Amino acid sequence: MKKPETVVGIETQSEVPDPYDLSNLQLSQSFTETSGVKKLLTTVPVRKPNPQDWVRVHPDPAMRGHFPLIELKDEREEYVIAGALVPELVGEFVHKTLYTTINRQGVVSLWPVRLPDPDGREMDWNRSAREAAELASTRWVRVKANRSLGAYEIHEAEGIIAEPKWPELTFQEIIRIAFRDRLVTSLDHPVIKRLRGVA
Amino acid sequence: MIMPAAFREIILLDFEFEACSGERPVPVCLVAKELHANRTHRIFQDEFGAAPPYATGPDVLFVAYYASAELGCYRALGWKTPERILDLFVEFRNLTNGLSTPAGAGLLGALAYFGLDGMGATTKKELQEAIGTGTWRGQYSADEILNYCESDVLALERLLPLMWPEIDLPRALLRGRSMAANASIEHAGVPIDTTTLDMLRDKWGSIQDQLIAEIDSQYQVYEGRTFKQELFARYLQAHNVPWPRLASGRLDLSDGIFRQMSKAHPTISLLRELRSALSDLRLNDLSVGRDGRNRALLSAFRSRSGRNQPSNSKFIFGPSVWLRGLIKPPPGYAVAYIDWSQQEFGIAAALSGDTAMMEAYASGDPYLTFAKQAGAVPADATKASHRGERELFKQCVLATQYGMEAESLAVRIGQPPIVARDLLRTHRETYSRFWNWSDAALDHAMLHGSLHTVFGWYVHVGGQPNPRSLRNFPMQANGAEMLRLACCLAVERGIEVCAPVHDAVLICAREQDLDADIESMRAAMAESSRTILKGFELGTDVAITRWPDRYRDERGAAMWARVMGLVGEGS
Repeated sequence: MKKPETVVGIETQSEVPDPYDLSNLQLSQSFTETSGVKKLLTTVPVRKPNPQDWVRVHPDPAMRGHFPLIELKDEREEYVIAGALVPELVGEFVHKTLYTTINRQGVVSLWPVRLPDPDGREMDWNRSAREAAELASTRWVRVKANRSLGAYEIHEAEGIIAEPKWPELTFQEIIRIAFRDRLVTSLDHPVIKRLRGVA
Repeated sequence: MIMPAAFREIILLDFEFEACSGERPVPVCLVAKELHANRTHRIFQDEFGAAPPYATGPDVLFVAYYASAELGCYRALGWKTPERILDLFVEFRNLTNGLSTPAGAGLLGALAYFGLDGMGATTKKELQEAIGTGTWRGQYSADEILNYCESDVLALERLLPLMWPEIDLPRALLRGRSMAANASIEHAGVPIDTTTLDMLRDKWGSIQDQLIAEIDSQYQVYEGRTFKQELFARYLQAHNVPWPRLASGRLDLSDGIFRQMSKAHPTISLLRELRSALSDLRLNDLSVGRDGRNRALLSAFRSRSGRNQPSNSKFIFGPSVWLRGLIKPPPGYAVAYIDWSQQEFGIAAALSGDTAMMEAYASGDPYLTFAKQAGAVPADATKASHRGERELFKQCVLATQYGMEAESLAVRIGQPPIVARDLLRTHRETYSRFWNWSDAALDHAMLHGSLHTVFGWYVHVGGQPNPRSLRNFPMQANGAEMLRLACCLAVERGIEVCAPVHDAVLICAREQDLDADIESMRAAMAESSRTILKGFELGTDVAITRWPDRYRDERGAAMWARVMGLVGEGS
């Protein structure tokens, strides 16, 4: 056991400590300051929220962005295309908005929602997902696919009043974590080879 | 050894004393060594004067091993309590709390820990027992007893320089101060209705059989005096009571689980009392002196949290709560049981600085306020209008204090796990600052190898750290600090504290002094809470028992009434 640093070494102590004077005896209980630990965000899934999850979307517009993405349907994986490759891969990717999202368990993810086509057409699935994401910037929502409706049902939680605790990271940092091994920077990338049937 | 220049003298001392069950100590001899003067005092029974023959005063350090025993002798002799007390037992416990030690925490254990041999400090069991039981006369000479006593003082002299560099003296002296308060509490003892106790002891064998016959008729789980697990399983199934199981699949029959389940399923409560009465209770072990006071060694600083750990069978505040009905003030007196309201919740709120939690504490009903803060009940909800919701949130708060997981909470509240998970999550969200602090406390323990209280009581992280226990340490151990300080203040202000009980005290006072003493005790408890909690004050509740009434604990009232019915007495 180490003596607290606030205690004067007894060998040099010239006054008898007074156990009836408690004014200078209290030791800090602020473990938050002394533990020196912070949680690192090392994994950020890119996916639409699970149908059971209540989620919030970060309200700051700087915490969302549009990206060219290739979605591998079977693997349910999204790959982001480096800007220089975009002209060469027209038709292979779609533009999606990535919303920074958090669920009630504090799991941060990126919610991809497809942007309307260049001609402005938009499927109900994407429109309803976008509406849900916008709504989630101020309320806890849950989205569930309704096939007969052809769109997402949006559920809003009336009883949850707690605000989410967002990680102290920029959007760029979150993107970097989410796509650290899913960034397509050359035409030799295995994803491109598979799409072109050369893998 | 370098000693602090400030102390004019350092006294190492040890008493030998008779310690018959429930009685105050009767000093047999004392050996004291003045270190600076290098002078040894050997005093036998009839040589004790009106005051110690060695240096005293605030500039004299009194050093002992488990000092409340020595200070009990001081009280018995009418000597003034020393002002600067260093208890090497307490400091050894603080140094090794949470770690394994080669030979326990006694004087020999401390010597072994520091690599010193036990020569000169051998326990000489027969001699020790003869002194303790007062049967030494005619068996041992004064010299033999003094030599034995001096061997412990010499052991202290060898131990002190090794421990000295590890001792945080200002706080060690505060702990020493609390050992003086403990000596005073042990001196007072708890007033007992010895007439009823004698009657119970006399008839205990037949009472036990009658209790089984009477109580077990509604459970059908006993065969003779044996509790049958299969029968209990059948009872649980028939009454649809989910019961926690051990990893082996067998029902968990520990008293902790019974206590927990009794809260969720009150019908179990009586069975728990019966089990306790049959298995734990040895009425003859309850140590009551000729003056009708229950006295047991408080075993201060024995638990990891620094709380007392008195013998369950010797101390009236052991687990058999119904037996507390034996507590009865003498004629003209009253006892008051004063406890902090929601102490653990209040400590957690204040030390973590969680304002929502502090607000809930200050509301007087933290459970209902928690439900309001979580949006589960309207702002104007009351205990009467939302009893069910309040109970759920109460169980959730208690669950977090026990470090309970969702599955256990679900069993306790009799709801599916998803409800329990949501409740626990709501607690985390509503009191996020508390949880950050709790996480940080655990991180601190794992990173630095220890956690400590406001006044420097440490728990060290050993080979197999228990995260739940570490998380709970700041609440439990600072609660212990709070109780110790309150007892110091109360005793020093002349209140007769009979017993410290986890988060409460029992005091005794003459009828005409009762109100003033209660007020003074509550003020001491309030002051103590403010000192520990950076100015945040915890409230207290009082239950008064005036002669000729007896103390009553609701949890044991039914059992008490039943036993009294069996022995033909009114309750």
